[in-house]
Amino acid sequence: MSQPRISAYAGSADGNAQPTRVIQGPKTLQARTSHYIAVDAVHDELAVPNPFAQAILIFRGGANGNEAPVRVIQGPKTLLTAVDNVAVDPLHRELLTASFPTDSILVFRSDAGGDVEPIRILHGPKTQLDRPIRVEVDPINNLMAVMNDHALLVFNRTDSGDVAPKWIIAGPKTGIGTRFGTRDLKLFPEGRKIIAGASIRGPRGTRSREASNDDEEGFFRGGGQRFIGVWKYGDNGDVAPWAVLNATPITKIPGSRMALNPEGGDLVIGGDGRVAVYHLPEIFQKTD
Amino acid sequence: MGVPERFWRVMVGTLLLAAVWIQFGYGPGVTAAQQRSNTSDRRPMVLDRAPARMIADPNPVFRAVVLDAEHGEVFMANDKESAGTSVLVYPTQFPPTNRILEPRRRIAGPKTDLGMVCGLALSIEHGELYSVSGETGTLNVYPLDSTGNVGPRRRLRGVMPRASAGVFLDVKNDELFITTEHVNRISVYPRTFQEDQEPLRFIQGPATGLGDPHGIYIDGTTNEIFVSNHGNWRETQPGEGEVRGPDSLTRTSLGYNVPGRVVPLVPSTGQFLGPSITVHSRTATGNAAPLRIIHGPHTQLSLPDGIYRDPVSGELIVANTGDDSVLFFAKDAAGDATPVRVLKGPATKMKGPVGTSIDAKRNELWVASWDSHVAAVFPRMANGNIAPLRVIRTASENAPLASMGRIGAVAYDPKRKEILAPN
Repeated sequence: MSQPRISAYAGSADGNAQPTRVIQGPKTLQARTSHYIAVDAVHDELAVPNPFAQAILIFRGGANGNEAPVRVIQGPKTLLTAVDNVAVDPLHRELLTASFPTDSILVFRSDAGGDVEPIRILHGPKTQLDRPIRVEVDPINNLMAVMNDHALLVFNRTDSGDVAPKWIIAGPKTGIGTRFGTRDLKLFPEGRKIIAGASIRGPRGTRSREASNDDEEGFFRGGGQRFIGVWKYGDNGDVAPWAVLNATPITKIPGSRMALNPEGGDLVIGGDGRVAVYHLPEIFQKTD
Repeated sequence: MGVPERFWRVMVGTLLLAAVWIQFGYGPGVTAAQQRSNTSDRRPMVLDRAPARMIADPNPVFRAVVLDAEHGEVFMANDKESAGTSVLVYPTQFPPTNRILEPRRRIAGPKTDLGMVCGLALSIEHGELYSVSGETGTLNVYPLDSTGNVGPRRRLRGVMPRASAGVFLDVKNDELFITTEHVNRISVYPRTFQEDQEPLRFIQGPATGLGDPHGIYIDGTTNEIFVSNHGNWRETQPGEGEVRGPDSLTRTSLGYNVPGRVVPLVPSTGQFLGPSITVHSRTATGNAAPLRIIHGPHTQLSLPDGIYRDPVSGELIVANTGDDSVLFFAKDAAGDATPVRVLKGPATKMKGPVGTSIDAKRNELWVASWDSHVAAVFPRMANGNIAPLRVIRTASENAPLASMGRIGAVAYDPKRKEILAPN
């Protein structure tokens, strides 16, 4: 159980660093278990879900201390359930969330607040949505990627209703799936890459380090209960990643939650109370 | 006519760009079939390298605090994964020092299955320590004199919802009570539970007033349950969160491998109720309304967590995380009640207090502060901005405050060049 707060650290921070600011306190309306945070760099805002109150909180980008959100999306019309994630599309001023309990993707106006209806809902058997846990959006190439329980689905950004995915990345070569408990997803539009963070899990109640380490192809080697896989746009089917960062005693991947700093060539990975910064400029090349 | 001219310029430009885009294989014209043929024998580029930087606090923190006054030991839960989660055992009596104090014993390691240990309870009579995990919801039992990397003597898995917060042993009635944040619930088990034990009863549902429950205390004499609530609320139904495979009411408790039921897209019920202390009948069951609620601006409640009742005065003691205080309420407080005492201020060394307990034998109040890595001991009737009698600390006084717990995500803010990590 953790304190409900957002800790901010300098991008160059290392070791037992002091946060540059902490957004915390009752006015913030945060719950613990904020499993996502989205940065809208264009409008300088942060979006954070509160699953226990079925709400999405939007803060000023520079929020600090016990500061109230500037907007809250919450209410019967929103159809929000255990809202666990949020993505923002600053170009089209939209906010998306993958709804694990309802097998749907809800899209809102990102400048909306209060009890508002989704402007689009992706939902139905053709979508193949099955326990979707993350959604990310690429407003430049007009794509929307969804991390299912056992597959990575890519849709057109504006898909709505019962629409089949454009590409599906799933199968034993991918490492994506139930066995690996894939949990996070990022898109790098300029380089047309999909980056997925995975955590191999055993049966309920067991710790990930107790789970099996090796895959059939041997790609995810080295005691790797965790790995990060990178795919190219257009990859479809049972496709091995274009690149992998495996969990090894050297890499010390702390979790499966990710952030991208393309300018610095850094992949930021968080989990288990740690944040690791990996310098991986290969991922951020705009062509390959 | 300027508008149509501009329109055509934009259109022509867009079409030219699109042509270049497709020419170089970047457009939607790249079919799935083409990609398949190019990728079927792909060998991944391996990027394994050490992190350039790692942000982590290596110092343990204190959450739940329980006392074995008879043997002069205090047990504290450390749920900080970056320090290795553990139960730390210290003597209750020691010379005052501002230096880091090493524990007398430490229960830690993979065999312990502590997970994110949040709540602790103990039975001196039966020599048992009980721990609950905020991650799996598992309830584990250890011998009271355990040390090192030891497995639990018993563990409760059963149908118990995941993400427990608090646990309390009602010694008089030999029952264990557990709060679950995710599904606004109090579950009751016999102390002598077996692994697949069904709960004896539970309190859960929209009438209960439970909203993101944390700490719990049971007064076996007055037959009351006291629960601290953060106030994040949604409508839950009795039985929600129980892990019953395909028969589970919701899939969110099932984790991976089990699809569970798809919930229909129905209107949300979420609300911010504000922080509260709900008081329930010890024998309440199902969707039962509380006996009374302490709630309102005069209460000063702010992210209340650990809760205890003074065995002498009957006062209710609340670790009030949100404003670094401990609140004391009259034994029959209800509604928008003002605390009878408030322990708060820089002299107290409290920062992010989460756990509290009373050593009735020595007339002392214990307060565990998560952020400052400090457990502080005060006179039982402490009030205002007073210094503790003595402290146990796991980090030096000038060490950074603990901030990251189990972080659920990371983000990068390019404007401020900052890494953001929500708990």
